[in-house]
Amino acid sequence: MDITVKPLGRRDFLRGSLAAAALAATGSLASCATSGTGTSTSSSSAPAGQVSDTNPFGVQSGTTVDAVIFNGGYGVDYAEFAAKQVQTKQSGVTVKVTPTTKIAQSLQPRFVSGNPPDVIDNSGADLIGINTIRDQLAELTDVIEAKNYEGTVIKDTLYPGVTNPGTFDGKFIQLNYVLTVYAIWYSASLFDDMGWTVPKTYDEMMSLGAEAKGKGKYLFGWGKEAATYYQTMAISSAIKEGGDDVRLALENLKPDCWSLPPVQDVFNALKKIIDAGYVKPGGSGTQFTAAQAQWSNAEQFILYPSGSWIENEMKSQTKSGFKMTGAPEPSVSTSSKFAYEALHSTAGEGYIVPSQGKNAAGGKEFLRAMLSKDAAVNFAKEKLSSTIVKGTVPADGFGSTALQSQIKMLEAAGTNVYSWNFIDLYGMNTDQLVLWNTFLAGDSSVAELTKGLQEITDKVAKDDSIKKVPVS
Amino acid sequence: VTALSSAGLTSGVSSPGGGLRRIGSARWRRRNLTFDKVSFFLVFLIIPVAWYIGFVVSQFVQAAYFSLTDWSGFSPAMNFVGLSNYSKLLSDATFLKAVGNNVLMAIVVPIVTLGLAMFFATLVTVGGSTRGNIRGLRNSSFYRVVSFFPYVIPAIVIGLIWSQIYDPNSGLLNGILTRVGLEQFTSFPWLGDVRTARWAVMFVIIWGLVGFYMVLFIAAIKGVPAEVFEAARIDGAGRFRTAVSITIPLIRDNVQTAFIYIGILALDAFVYMAALEPGGGPANTTLVMAQQLFTTAFAKGQFGYACAMGVVLAGITLAYAGLVFAINRLTGGRSEVGE
Repeated sequence: MDITVKPLGRRDFLRGSLAAAALAATGSLASCATSGTGTSTSSSSAPAGQVSDTNPFGVQSGTTVDAVIFNGGYGVDYAEFAAKQVQTKQSGVTVKVTPTTKIAQSLQPRFVSGNPPDVIDNSGADLIGINTIRDQLAELTDVIEAKNYEGTVIKDTLYPGVTNPGTFDGKFIQLNYVLTVYAIWYSASLFDDMGWTVPKTYDEMMSLGAEAKGKGKYLFGWGKEAATYYQTMAISSAIKEGGDDVRLALENLKPDCWSLPPVQDVFNALKKIIDAGYVKPGGSGTQFTAAQAQWSNAEQFILYPSGSWIENEMKSQTKSGFKMTGAPEPSVSTSSKFAYEALHSTAGEGYIVPSQGKNAAGGKEFLRAMLSKDAAVNFAKEKLSSTIVKGTVPADGFGSTALQSQIKMLEAAGTNVYSWNFIDLYGMNTDQLVLWNTFLAGDSSVAELTKGLQEITDKVAKDDSIKKVPVS
Repeated sequence: VTALSSAGLTSGVSSPGGGLRRIGSARWRRRNLTFDKVSFFLVFLIIPVAWYIGFVVSQFVQAAYFSLTDWSGFSPAMNFVGLSNYSKLLSDATFLKAVGNNVLMAIVVPIVTLGLAMFFATLVTVGGSTRGNIRGLRNSSFYRVVSFFPYVIPAIVIGLIWSQIYDPNSGLLNGILTRVGLEQFTSFPWLGDVRTARWAVMFVIIWGLVGFYMVLFIAAIKGVPAEVFEAARIDGAGRFRTAVSITIPLIRDNVQTAFIYIGILALDAFVYMAALEPGGGPANTTLVMAQQLFTTAFAKGQFGYACAMGVVLAGITLAYAGLVFAINRLTGGRSEVGE
């Protein structure tokens, strides 16, 4: 053992590193600091071009449109397609598409310094809470009132209600591009083989659960990051049962909104299913795509409540011949306020145009291109999802059973379409996940779930520093 | 920092005999302000300190100021709200839960990790045969290398590996447990059960760090003259007595350093949690302050409030470091080493 090395030198070093460590401890503080608070510049500093029917926002030739696009499940190639459309239609305008996965982290400094991009696809897990930048966004009413590249007013080409999720306090500031239908998804081939029918109420679900159990399958399953998909289904069922009163109570963070009878009926029905052992155990410890593969690939459980992105998300992990199909979320009773066919549908991929952007007109022109026929059809075909533009999906759904059923559900629902915003708007999902993981695992009662959800709602309602968006 | 650097400077100048230190007159100081000395001051003291103030301290001050505002983080506008963010923190059940989780981790993780590391380090260095020279177990260099492996893997990868091992249905752990006949672990969610989640997470952190602290302690023990151990052995001290009465007192400064480092890590733990429990775990039993800070800032758009959390986290970390110093001193350690 060599012991003649100078111990003093080493100890001095360690002492120095101790000081360094103590300083590193405060590193979390530094992460809060800004790169300097810039002053706000005046909006749309680019010179305005000639306004005409073919150039409704007056984009100036020779300018650049700075588009930052969320690079998630849909990629960015569809945005690049639309960018090319803009460049063809507006000579001399260039569109720069920048893909990113961390919208909030990468754009936060640009918002603070008053230099945001011209158009942003504000999506993904790290999106900017719309409530925090609401005042800095341009109204997009003129976009949907303009004519598309085919000469039709854009408003008339859209599915009903698709501007609602982007309208806050009467102002339409966020254009949600991709139509999302929330449904109960199942394998049509499996249901045909077994002679099962899709349950329309929670009672029918209970009996289907018993049948599935007989075949060694579970009714439901969940993953830890996606436990609130069951909350989405529950809220939707409660709105179907109790009508707009339920929706408005939840949206406006009313006291005891989670104790309304329709909400409680759904919770109790779910609790019955959980207690009967029809939910695959272990979800609170399973990564959500792994859990979804237990449904789409291993067929260990047979129903999954989710949005219509599920087909694209599980593409590589779906059993061949699965025939993924959607059905409306169940109602509690047969005498519900909304018909069973009523649909929880909204639009996702929120596009926003910051009013301080250098070329806000260019940002709007980009949206106009996206809403015109070529780009919308291109999206539907490439991504097997419909945009908010009607009539871009043929009857065969480009060969996708999920897309076919999506369009069928939308047609059946007609104008009976509803959605809500409060969870994303006030960033409640993280807190709610904890409660739903516990509830689905069978470790909490309906009363405990209700109390927990109400506490989350009340906390936001009572916090004066959070701007509220009244919904009517 | 200034104190440390200037102390180093004086001892550097005054060595070897320290005779110059006695000439403390003004004439001495003036005569010594040569170009060499001034440039030395500039390069090794003034520039680093200026850099440090500009890029580190000012950010701390700025963050502390933001914690007194209602800044959303996405606009230049902010209002001064005094200490209301802090009073809000005191009644924020979720944040207090995170503080509790962090404190528990800062107690358990260092004690278990360093206890194991010390045990292995002793075995590898002085725990070998009681005949002949003081030495470790046979093949000790092999153990030393192997035990360091987990530390070579980035923390995020460790987290991802273990989240797969803990998977209720296809994970290695439940696979082994059910194979040996423990049927109650079928689909058991280690990371999803209130009873097990926090221990499962702490196990991963400890697993990842034992090797590093073992190597640190080995280096420290190697710095202790072998004669000390030989003398203890001649006096009849066994392995355990040697470890407690000889090894630990002689390397207590290293132990203190290790405690501070690992405590800071346990008070942060963000990376491990991001991989293992991104949602805060069942009933928030694994939620840590850094996670809550991140969500508050970026998902909820409350940067002012998040900054207040950061200040509290920094305060707790410094208090922890102070506590470790205090305990070391109270148990007989000197505050200054090597003087």
